[in-house]
Amino acid sequence: MADNHADFIVLGAGPGGYACAFRAADLGRKVVLVDPRATLGGVCLNEGCIPSKALLHAAQVLREARHGGDWGLNFAAPTVDLDALRAKKDGIVSQLTGGLGALSKRRKVQVVRGSARFTDAKTLEIDGKTWSFEQAVIAVGSSPIQLPGWPEDDRIWDSTAALELRFLPERLAIVGGGIIGLEMATVYAALGSQVTVIELADQIAPGADAEAAGILHAAMAQEGVTLHTSTKTARVEASKDGLTLHCEGAFAGTLEADAIIQAVGRRSNAFGVAPEAAGIAVSDRGIIEVNASCQTTVPGIFAIGDVTGNPMLAHRATHQGHVAAEVASGHAAALDTDLIPSVAYTAPELAWVGLTAEQAKAQNIAHKVTGFPWAASGRNLASGGGDGLTKLVYCPNTQRLLGATLVGTNAGELLAEATLAIEMGACLQDLALSVHAHPTLSETLAFAAERALGTLTDL
Amino acid sequence: MTTPIASPSVRAQAREQGIDLAARAQELGRSQLTADDLSPKPSVAAGQASTQASDATRYWDVDHAQYGPVREEATSRFAQIAAQNLGAANTLIPQVTHHDRANVAALEAFRAELKAEAKARGIKLTALAFQAKALAVALRAFPKFNASLSPDGKTLTFKDFAHIGIAVDTPHGLMVPVVRDLDRKGLWQIASEIADLAARAQERKVGPDEMGGASMTITNLGGIGGSAFTPIVNPPEVAILGITKAEMTPVWDGSAFQPVPMLPLDLSYDHRVINGAEAARFMVHFAGLLADPRRMMI
Repeated sequence: MADNHADFIVLGAGPGGYACAFRAADLGRKVVLVDPRATLGGVCLNEGCIPSKALLHAAQVLREARHGGDWGLNFAAPTVDLDALRAKKDGIVSQLTGGLGALSKRRKVQVVRGSARFTDAKTLEIDGKTWSFEQAVIAVGSSPIQLPGWPEDDRIWDSTAALELRFLPERLAIVGGGIIGLEMATVYAALGSQVTVIELADQIAPGADAEAAGILHAAMAQEGVTLHTSTKTARVEASKDGLTLHCEGAFAGTLEADAIIQAVGRRSNAFGVAPEAAGIAVSDRGIIEVNASCQTTVPGIFAIGDVTGNPMLAHRATHQGHVAAEVASGHAAALDTDLIPSVAYTAPELAWVGLTAEQAKAQNIAHKVTGFPWAASGRNLASGGGDGLTKLVYCPNTQRLLGATLVGTNAGELLAEATLAIEMGACLQDLALSVHAHPTLSETLAFAAERALGTLTDL
Repeated sequence: MTTPIASPSVRAQAREQGIDLAARAQELGRSQLTADDLSPKPSVAAGQASTQASDATRYWDVDHAQYGPVREEATSRFAQIAAQNLGAANTLIPQVTHHDRANVAALEAFRAELKAEAKARGIKLTALAFQAKALAVALRAFPKFNASLSPDGKTLTFKDFAHIGIAVDTPHGLMVPVVRDLDRKGLWQIASEIADLAARAQERKVGPDEMGGASMTITNLGGIGGSAFTPIVNPPEVAILGITKAEMTPVWDGSAFQPVPMLPLDLSYDHRVINGAEAARFMVHFAGLLADPRRMMI
């Protein structure tokens, strides 16, 4: 006989887990939400998306102050009070996690602090106590990958540590030029560190449109960030005076750094819940096999978010969380889309959804590309925006939109129009004939469509 | 069929209702679906008919019950499709029906001669088998009757085969199975193929590959009665041959009236493709083949 029983138990209170728990509660289920953290929200709220955005905002203010001279606005060189900045960031995080706590109380979700492990397909153990359950959802997320063979050193940070703002390194090396690495580069470069990014692939933001990534590359280089692509970090040495990175590839040589951020990807935490004890199929990399309805191979057990593989993004987890709660409660639901938007909150932002031209080509999908350079956008120039680009991939026969990439100020916000357009099956004419306010950055989407249709008068 | 375009809300609603969007799109002949297409019984035929014909047919919309007891029966999907096709054929194609008669004395005599052999073979050598064979032979002599006009009217496609559709009256409606390459088949085979297709049509067991692609269709009401009718062309064919019951008719042979069995023939044709003189010549030729079946050989 188990110590406790749960009707619907969610393991992990990140953006997937709490969304799942809340949706299930709204559907009338009695819900238990389990997480080892003192606060709800998981990595996203506590040490990921939200705190990084707070620091990126500070970085933007610093950059704009520095460029004030271009507009005849001269400020004294800013001083950064790291403790106050950290406190501000932590305050925002507590405001949000506190809000989540209130939302869970309102829904009468029972929050249990602890780590859960399956003992079989119908029971869990949470910190020594046994729990039987009717249905369970695995939403325990992922952790930063630690590269093997590196020294143990508290000057080597993962993304979580980087967001703690322990100190401001004079020289910062970032290994990994994906979204997380580039965002950290943006923050620390603005705060005053000499930042070097080392990326194994031949472009930063691998997977993104190469032309757009090139624009971001140039903009970051202009802000003083050194970016080495096609470069491998072979070895790292730690000494009292600093850290030495031995690099191979396009950049071959050594780099001295006062701190290093490892940002080479994330690994599923699935093994932490002992899925094998319940008989759940899981890959050797910890990816739990699920169908579009988030059902694992074991009836009654669902998995959502990063434990189900790439793309490991909060918004995908949230949608899967709703799907799992609905399916578990007798509804027919599924995440039946491949359109998971990606946004790098860099300066400028880089955002994309759907097919890139490179992917369409690799998959042999008939496609054409159109674009609009932000140098021709009045709103962009008037707002002090730098180089930018709106690029659309579309089907040459139906002119349906297949993908979009934007690089420039607020690209992440502008992407939503493209996502909605693709989901609705919109074609270029739909975009071009929808009246966009002038002057806005959103016009660039309509302009790119008009350009392909031959109706553009702004170029 | 690829996945149809449908917005997320339509996809979610379809999932809840257990509707397969790809199948629904195929059924409706569309590549894009909206919430309206998820209604329990979508009927494109009914929908179009009601919107397009609403003005013209408003006087048909009568409460019959006020005149006496009535009973309502939903039309089958099969009947709705047939109705739509017939409606389109009759509205869009300028049709003329040409009437003629064939002397079938020799043919009937030949059939009577073969009766014993037919019995032994277990095949009923019907007049229809002769008519279908003769029509196939006639089509080879008149290629324009073995053609189809493209929907835009710009291209006439001539067919290098002679397949004949046989209209069959079944409990669930009119079906037209097709016998292939009759010009190359013997009468025994034709008779047995027609009998087989007609029997299976009664049970609705005719495959889709056994319908369509006909050069021309024969609709024979001879077994029932009638002296003439005006069939409707079955597009994309350009003509249809209606046949009613042969009748013993007094025919003047120059010195006296002789009793001759005459078979009434009614050819409806697409006047965009075929003109009246061509139709008359075609029918004289066809009637000649029936009058002297030996001519089918030469």
